[in-house]
Amino acid sequence: MSTIAIQPRTSRMISPVTILIYLILLGALIFTLIPIVFMFSASMMPSKDILKMPFRWIPRGFHWQNFAKAVAGNDGSYIFIRNFMNSMIVSGIVTLTTVILSAITGYGLAKFRFKGRNFVFLAIMATMMIPFEAIMIPLYMVATKFHLQNSYGGLTLPFLVNAFGVFMMRQYLLPFPDEFLDATRIDGAGELGIFWYVVLPNCAPAIATLSILTFRSQWDNLLWPLLIAQSEKMKTLPLYIVKFSAEKYTNEGAMMAVAVLASIPMLILFFTMSKYFVSGSAVFNSRKG
Amino acid sequence: MKKPYGGIERKLSRWGWIFITPSLLFFSIFSFYPILNAAYTSFFRKKILSLKPPTFIGLKNYSYLLQSSDFWNSIRATFVFTVGTFIPLVVFSLLLAVLILSVRKGQKYLQLAYYAPAVLSSVVAAVIWLSIFDPRGIGNQWVNFFMNTPGIDHKWLASSFMVQFSTILVYFWKYIGYFVVIFIAGLSAIPGSLYEAARIDGASNWQSFWRITFPLLKPTVVLVSVMSMLQCLKTFSTQYLFVQAGSPQAPINVITLNIFNTGIRDHHIGRSSAMSIILFLIMLFFTWFQFKTSKADDVTY
Repeated sequence: MSTIAIQPRTSRMISPVTILIYLILLGALIFTLIPIVFMFSASMMPSKDILKMPFRWIPRGFHWQNFAKAVAGNDGSYIFIRNFMNSMIVSGIVTLTTVILSAITGYGLAKFRFKGRNFVFLAIMATMMIPFEAIMIPLYMVATKFHLQNSYGGLTLPFLVNAFGVFMMRQYLLPFPDEFLDATRIDGAGELGIFWYVVLPNCAPAIATLSILTFRSQWDNLLWPLLIAQSEKMKTLPLYIVKFSAEKYTNEGAMMAVAVLASIPMLILFFTMSKYFVSGSAVFNSRKG
Repeated sequence: MKKPYGGIERKLSRWGWIFITPSLLFFSIFSFYPILNAAYTSFFRKKILSLKPPTFIGLKNYSYLLQSSDFWNSIRATFVFTVGTFIPLVVFSLLLAVLILSVRKGQKYLQLAYYAPAVLSSVVAAVIWLSIFDPRGIGNQWVNFFMNTPGIDHKWLASSFMVQFSTILVYFWKYIGYFVVIFIAGLSAIPGSLYEAARIDGASNWQSFWRITFPLLKPTVVLVSVMSMLQCLKTFSTQYLFVQAGSPQAPINVITLNIFNTGIRDHHIGRSSAMSIILFLIMLFFTWFQFKTSKADDVTY
């Protein structure tokens, strides 16, 4: 297949505008990546190297004590592991329920005609305008009334489904052919069976995007766990980070090691599924459609 | 599917209700009830953990807030943070998106690289920048290098101006790539034929940007502006961590931080509910504003 392309010898001049564009793009690249590179380099250095005057970007070696300290904690309790698992469990539960409930609701709204459908849809959309920060106090009081502090139930309940997920699944399912659904009905499939075996597998890209968005937002959630999880055992990773950074005599290297460990699951997701990661942001743009 | 077979039609509409009921219940309990409850609580003097029944005080919480310098300081801090963050975000992400699309190579990689900070959680972002802003950290080193002011401490986390600037910088860094991606999606939706036609008519790059790209991109610009504004109004993690790390609270005491402290630390549930309702109304206004403007500007290619 390889053919030798004979390039015409027009030595193309690179215009100054092009150079300028590349310089700006490069500047932005340095700005966005430097702090991340800093986190990784610093996590492998003894603290005294991190705050040394010319910062050395390539660590002299791997200072593994930072990571040991990050996991053991300042008090050697190894609560980090438990907190890390809590974050995994909470994010996992929320992602699973959000995906299934959003798909079911989105399917119901997109493919069934019933009285009040538009009203229900608008009502659900309206909840997107209620910021969590405005309802955290009443939610907190409800949670305390039902003794949900320091429990997985308390950590996950307010997030089991969200309006954006419903909206996204509905938009995705609107163009799904009705004839296809009717055909499976005539073949004798039950409604739940149709949803599970026909609709759900056909939503894979939307599900992937929604999963990533949901998982990330839970992984990042600081405010609600701050209210609901007081016991060390039930804290999540963001709370561990807050505690670790607020403790006096913190060593910078260990702090960066904690940051690296907290970022690893997200970075793995990002590198394997960057397509869905990025399309999740762009999905907002299709809301008019 | 209009009305020919009544039985199946009814059965299907029943299934529709079955499918939406779980979420409807959820939203009633975890969204509608709490916002109504917050509105209701805002009329009471109520203390958490107190056995005394809450006393009805009407609008006193609101009038208290309107006279409280602490509350107005929060409004100011939120306003400074929001305006200081979203304007540069919109301007620079649009600029970067246009520049990325104008180069021939590496568009995908540049997008991903700019997006990378958005992958990290906001707590991690705050912690990284706390290290950078350390008096002996690389923040000072770099600024001193470029401004040729060796040995100056710029007090990133200490002086009231700099700590506001620092929180803005962290947020700007974290979200720039996110908005670049949205702008690129918006820009890619504009059909190339328009540019070809303009080129044939002799338009320069500059002219086709202002005459074609910008007007057609207006809905995206409005969308991104409101989205980033709403995002900024809700900021919490960065400010919380900075305060925990010893920064002065007053300059960055944004409204969410104030709600949290008033309600949870000081136990003034009624007062913090009133603040929540004010935040809600502000955000509702901007969302309404967005729907209004984006409807009026709906473009067809």
